[in-house]
Amino acid sequence: MANRELSNNIRRLRFENGEMTQQQLADKVGVTRQTIIAIEAGKYAPSLPLAFRIARVFNVTVEQVFQYSSIGLQGT
Amino acid sequence: MIYLTFSKVYNTFIGLNSVNKENFMNRAQKMSLTLVITISLGLFLGIVLVVMRFFNVGIPKTVFLFPIFFAGSGGIISLIFFRKDKSAITSDERDKLIEKNANLAGFGAVYLFVILASFLPIGIMGQKGSIPVTWCPVLLVGAAFCQAYAQSLAILIQYGWGGGHGKS
Repeated sequence: MANRELSNNIRRLRFENGEMTQQQLADKVGVTRQTIIAIEAGKYAPSLPLAFRIARVFNVTVEQVFQYSSIGLQGT
Repeated sequence: MIYLTFSKVYNTFIGLNSVNKENFMNRAQKMSLTLVITISLGLFLGIVLVVMRFFNVGIPKTVFLFPIFFAGSGGIISLIFFRKDKSAITSDERDKLIEKNANLAGFGAVYLFVILASFLPIGIMGQKGSIPVTWCPVLLVGAAFCQAYAQSLAILIQYGWGGGHGKS
């Protein structure tokens, strides 16, 4: 489930949005806090609908939350 | 009262902060850990009894049911003490994915168990050998424990052997 190619700014966005806690974000997007922790740590790549729900909470686009790096695919 | 005391003791035992409830393992992890512990102890006890019987220590056959009851107690403990919390979100897409992978691991373990159970007797006793028919239900119980053990281990490994660690 680990995804090294996918990075995210969830932690930064949470603090920029009134220091939102992981639990508050989890409740807003309808997942458990453990899942938010796993996504933030890059241990779990969320589904597309969940990625959109997270982006909507912060009023930004999915690309502003998640970044895909093609470097990881080349194994360098 | 007993339930609350058990939960507190158990959460302390598994090394989680009893003050911060958010760091607790989720229900699937607690159930899996309980099953891994009880099945491991049951397996150990079974091996000890087999070794004792091998060295002709006087043990009645009914004692061999004890490790099975011991191993199976994990399921009963899980059902009684780890109830679903209906007031909160307890599972999501990640939990479902973990459960799916764990089911696959359990199926794979049973498959391997059946292969071993089919060929080991031939290897040990030869083509002309015979085994008692009472081995059939024993193999069924063995396959069930094998599945539960592999599934529980897969759940614990995928969650990372811990609770919801991390900073808010």
